[in-house]
Amino acid sequence: MNRSFNKSQSLRYLDCTAVEVKSKYGAEFRRFSVDRFKPGKFEEFYKLILHIHRITNMEVMLGYADVHGDLLPINNDDNFCKAVSTANPLLRVFIQRQEEVDYSSFGTNTLTRKKKAVVTLRNDVNRKRPHIRIGMPQDFRPVSSIIDVDILPESHRRVRLYRHGSDKPLGFYIRDGTSVRVTPHGLEKVPGIFISRMVPGGLAESTGLLAVNDEVLEVNGIEVTGKTLDQVTDMMIANSHNLIITVKPVNQRNNIVRSSRISGSSGQSTDSGSSAGFAGMPPPIAGHSFPPDDLESDEESDIVIESNLKRPSRRSTSSTASRAQPQAMPPAPPPPPPPSPPRPPSVISTASFHSQPSLNGAGNHNLSYKLHRDLNLQHHHSSTPIIRESNGSLHKILNTLRTDPRHSLALPRGGVEEDGTVITL
Amino acid sequence: MMKFRFRRQGNDPQREKIKQDLFAFNKTVEHGFPNQPSALAYDPKLRLMAIGTKSGAVKVYGSPGVEFTGLHKDMATVTQMHFLPGQGRLLSLLDDNTLHLWEISLREGATQLEEIRSFTLPGRPGIESTSATRVTVILLKWSCDVACLGTEGGGVHFLELPSLHLLDSKSLFQDEIMQSVPEDYKSGKSLGPVESLQEHPQNPSKILIGYSRGLVVLWDQTTRQVDNLFLGNQQLESLGWESSGKTFVSSHSDGGYMVWAVNSSSPRTQQPVSSIIPYGPFPCKAINKILWRTSESGAPIVLFSGGMPRASYGDRHCVTVLQEKTQVTLDFTSRVIDFFTIHSTDGAKDYDNPAALVVLLEEELVVIDLQTPGWPTIPSPYLAPLHSSAITCSYHISNVPTKLWERVLAAGQQQSPPQTHVKWPINGGKNLAPDPKHKGLLLTGHEDGTVRFWDASGVSLKPLYKLSTANIFQTDCDHNDSLTQPGEEEWPPFRKVGCFDPYSDDPRLGIQKISLCKYSGKLVVAGTAGQVLVMEVNEEMSDHLINTATVDLLQDREGFSWKGHDRLAPKNGPISFPPGFHPIILVQCLPPAAVTAVTLHAEWNLIAFGTSHGFGLFDYHRRGAVLARCTLHPNDSLAMEGPLSRVKSLKKSLRQSFRRIRKSRVSGKKRVVINSPTSKVQEANAQLAEQAGPADVEVAPVQRRIEPRSADDSLSGVVRCLCFADTYLRDGTHHGPTMWAGTNSGSVYAYALEVPSLEKFSEQSVEAVLGKEIQLMHRAPVVSIAVLDGRGNPLPEPYEVSQDLAKAPDMQGSHSVLIASEEQFKVFTLPKVSAKTKFKLTAHEGCRVRKVALANFGSVSSDDYSENGLMCLTNLGDIHVFSIPGLRPQVRYDCIRKEDISGIASCVFTKTGQGFYLISPSEFERFSLSARVITEPVCTVDLDRPHDSTAHSNNTPGSLQANGTHKVPSANDSHSLGEAEGVLEEIQAALSSPPLDSPNSSADITLDTTGDITVEDVKDFLVSAEEAEKNLKNISEEDARSPGILIK
Repeated sequence: MNRSFNKSQSLRYLDCTAVEVKSKYGAEFRRFSVDRFKPGKFEEFYKLILHIHRITNMEVMLGYADVHGDLLPINNDDNFCKAVSTANPLLRVFIQRQEEVDYSSFGTNTLTRKKKAVVTLRNDVNRKRPHIRIGMPQDFRPVSSIIDVDILPESHRRVRLYRHGSDKPLGFYIRDGTSVRVTPHGLEKVPGIFISRMVPGGLAESTGLLAVNDEVLEVNGIEVTGKTLDQVTDMMIANSHNLIITVKPVNQRNNIVRSSRISGSSGQSTDSGSSAGFAGMPPPIAGHSFPPDDLESDEESDIVIESNLKRPSRRSTSSTASRAQPQAMPPAPPPPPPPSPPRPPSVISTASFHSQPSLNGAGNHNLSYKLHRDLNLQHHHSSTPIIRESNGSLHKILNTLRTDPRHSLALPRGGVEEDGTVITL
Repeated sequence: MMKFRFRRQGNDPQREKIKQDLFAFNKTVEHGFPNQPSALAYDPKLRLMAIGTKSGAVKVYGSPGVEFTGLHKDMATVTQMHFLPGQGRLLSLLDDNTLHLWEISLREGATQLEEIRSFTLPGRPGIESTSATRVTVILLKWSCDVACLGTEGGGVHFLELPSLHLLDSKSLFQDEIMQSVPEDYKSGKSLGPVESLQEHPQNPSKILIGYSRGLVVLWDQTTRQVDNLFLGNQQLESLGWESSGKTFVSSHSDGGYMVWAVNSSSPRTQQPVSSIIPYGPFPCKAINKILWRTSESGAPIVLFSGGMPRASYGDRHCVTVLQEKTQVTLDFTSRVIDFFTIHSTDGAKDYDNPAALVVLLEEELVVIDLQTPGWPTIPSPYLAPLHSSAITCSYHISNVPTKLWERVLAAGQQQSPPQTHVKWPINGGKNLAPDPKHKGLLLTGHEDGTVRFWDASGVSLKPLYKLSTANIFQTDCDHNDSLTQPGEEEWPPFRKVGCFDPYSDDPRLGIQKISLCKYSGKLVVAGTAGQVLVMEVNEEMSDHLINTATVDLLQDREGFSWKGHDRLAPKNGPISFPPGFHPIILVQCLPPAAVTAVTLHAEWNLIAFGTSHGFGLFDYHRRGAVLARCTLHPNDSLAMEGPLSRVKSLKKSLRQSFRRIRKSRVSGKKRVVINSPTSKVQEANAQLAEQAGPADVEVAPVQRRIEPRSADDSLSGVVRCLCFADTYLRDGTHHGPTMWAGTNSGSVYAYALEVPSLEKFSEQSVEAVLGKEIQLMHRAPVVSIAVLDGRGNPLPEPYEVSQDLAKAPDMQGSHSVLIASEEQFKVFTLPKVSAKTKFKLTAHEGCRVRKVALANFGSVSSDDYSENGLMCLTNLGDIHVFSIPGLRPQVRYDCIRKEDISGIASCVFTKTGQGFYLISPSEFERFSLSARVITEPVCTVDLDRPHDSTAHSNNTPGSLQANGTHKVPSANDSHSLGEAEGVLEEIQAALSSPPLDSPNSSADITLDTTGDITVEDVKDFLVSAEEAEKNLKNISEEDARSPGILIK
């Protein structure tokens, strides 16, 4: 029953080819549409935007609001495709002048922030230190960051994992162990909690900021000394939607040098921090360019496959869901792109922008097309084992999505600052 | 951050004072039967009884309410105990061959039992084996100045009392005895360990010494001579004097006993007067203990344990009472530990005239009235075997109205009319505790489908009434009592005694949840096979058919098939019910999974129940289902199609009950020698082997996966809690009946109910409309839901307001709902469900919520001041109290060991800040969190203690009380509060004006002020105050990043 329901929904959605676009520059906005399946090249779209807004002689940066209410950039064919394919059903595009672009405004929750905060921040904009640009952010949202560098000892690292909006598993294990502390009585062995394993493809591994045998010192600001493994596990899980772990990395070579806090060199320190993490990972691009079927053979990677499939399918279902209930559309964001939130100065927010694997790299296909193909394959070759498997997981995902209210719609109304969902009937 | 919090705590001495007046943690008394008793003693002068256990506890009982508890420092089995009659002193022997002297003393105004000194018999020089000095028997001379210790090596040592000073010179070794033993009897063998030591009833200087091989010697201590030799050839088990001192009786391992005459003229006696094997002629088991009591009314009474024919009744646990032709074989369901008689000990009287026989069994205490013909049992006012069938759930009702109390009492009396008018014979000491002001009722649900009602008002937990639900159903094995009825077997003359019955007819009968309305007398009992019985007190007996209804909780969900047990079929035809609780209707859930939550609103005639599949709402007046809602997650299909967990648990419970039976059947070895060198070697070897094991095999370290709960965790649909409330759900102006349900996956469903008024009840039906669905973002199981009124107080129970028994709730101010999950507490406003306050327990402390309850804490310093608090027991076994609705941590106490999972699971709180938890299958520990409401033994014993010069010179080892003491906790514990302090509240406190700092005067706080702590406030505060804690920032950001999602 569920199966047929989902199928028809998806197909209906696929029939609708025109995507409504609402683009905004300053206080002005324009409406037009693009073809969902043949959105064309980014270059063309870019020109179209400039033309429509009559700002042809300007260098601008394009951004769009994704289903989670995050402001994400459009700057190449891939993320343009993705923006169009996941339009919800409206594609909201924001235009910023290149020189005004604030990259830290891209990412998780950037559009959902309180208006109040936004207002205060706008006044702040001029005072703000210029942000350090570390390459071009590709698609996407931060998955992790190193924070509080200025208050922590050099040997410690406070890592924040943004699981919010990510389908990846956190993907790590902890264990009991002993660590050596320097005390007035000399060296002393004390029990400690350590990271014992990383799940390949998990969030923890992909950030590169945590490693096996790192000692966990704090969880969300609370020391773990004296707590049992089970207690620490519970604390981490209870904080899992925004986990901040302070670790003493087992590899102390790539520590951020304290003196580098001066703004000029902090970029470097960030680089070293993140590159340290990447060193221990499989080359990301290579991994991502594998077609899903290849990865499925690898035993531990099937989690990754699920999340690969999950994203496009989720987007599609959620957009269907929202069409059925148009009144629940997210409220329009404030006209100008929201500037950066008041990040504490110590946050190196760009420390580890890591793209979603399936969306990254040149080898990627149009995702909605991929979904389409999967669905078609179901009809025709459902006996092929591999395909069946992917069907299974797809349906599993669809089922989850259907019932998980978190996924159906993203933006909260002004008054709701609770992390519970209230369904008013 | 910690410093920061501590500072804030310390800043408010006023609040600390209030807290000290409100909260105090005490473990007050242990109810029920001691787990694994191992020794028994009786003081005929003070009329006190002592029970020792395998865990080293010593419990002294007198008249009801007189109780003392002590705990040996070592967790060794208490093997023997002896009172120093009249002195309030007790000598105990442990498994590790140490002797301990205990004393009942008055300290700090409370009478306590404490250990004053201990003693270990030194090894004999030249003899390597330590087992030679292992004490086998103790004889306390009636004069109380000397204890004689018989040893494994056959020696007898003398110990001065109460100093526990060994009188070395007096020791008697076997060589000395051997000199007078005839050559032909010696035959080169030793006499074996001393098996029995008995003081001559008329001549205190003479003691009767029995050796294992069968030799019995009457030894004169003063002359150090053998008066008489009794050349027994059968292995000896025990000896017992006849009170005149002219004859004694010996019992043997072949199941026989012999009567010997003491003839001063002949120093050697070859043959006994008589030798009887009572249950012969086939081989019998040993008679472990024998007593011979003379009676004025006729022939002497012989009492012995064991001696049953090995082949046919070797597995029975029996005590035989024999008086001339009258013989009764008391057939117990658990092993006999020890027994004694209560009889006249007045030396002037010629006869013993036993009044009662007290038998300590492994699982219960049975007292037989020996004065009333037929030897009936005397019901015990304490030491109730709570576990006569395994406890599956418990429920407490505070402040029971007299009407219900009397009806329950009457029903109980009719159920088991007293068989004898003899009063409880163990009645020493004086109970000084004032009569409890309020009646408290503890209901325990059992594996066999019974619900037992206990009087929990005072120190001794008394059985009141037993409700059996098994007779309503056709069970797999309908027990026919006729099979075991007397008459079928002529010999031995068995009589079933005691109520411990570990057999469960059908595991489906097990009681899972109980709910009682104390004003209407309506009771809801729900069980393992989805049966929900609504019952009502009825003073008359009646025959009637059972009304049944089924509620399909799966609704139209497809693809789920139940592979668990069938539902219980009710019996056909009318069933007769004795006065007591009679069923009104039986509601059966489909599928018949165990009921996981139940609640009752007698004023609305509604019950709500939940299983792992969903929940239902039922109108028992109109006998119709109002609502059924499936809570299964579609992804659960796999998990639910094969309800493995349930099948497994069913099997497990069966297996466990069998194991329990088997375990109780195994008769323990008489003595375990652990001190012998060989056993030490074995022990060491075992340890080595254990250590070597993990080293050889590369075992992966214990690791834990860090992954948030996902929606498709199995059993996410389990309904964890249900509640009714008259509150605002639809809008802020109209309140009305509502029903709330919380599930394992953090979902809360709130229904608005249309309950017709009383007059229209028969015409209109109840309707339920889904009002709200709340999905907690953290998805932790919802443990409890409660609605708070405008002043932040919990809503009163049904009928309380209409019967003027409680203040009407504040319906003016806005209500709020408190939702407690396993990880967090949250208060949401009503009707717009927006979060007001919260406390993230797991995120801060790493512990998870197991049980919560609301209670009213009265202040000790002022009678009319009280606060409501949320009590919470965590998986670490500690108890926290939070203010409501502020949810600020108040106190934290360690209560249960975190390894004691069953203890934590069994915990039940009362409405006055007390609680109970099982410390063993048979014992409830009662504790108190309230400084005002404490139920503890307060009693005295009149002691007749001669001046003891040594008592003060010796060092007194620190007393180790099994019960908590009163004075200690408050000061220390209040310091640890800081840790539990919530960060948000902390900030709030820093931001807000002083009045908010005392959150517990909940009436003072309007809900709106606490509700205003939004995330942005926190952020502003942090931005402006630059020195603010960096850690706080993390937490505030985290809050900012968890936006609610509004879904239409």
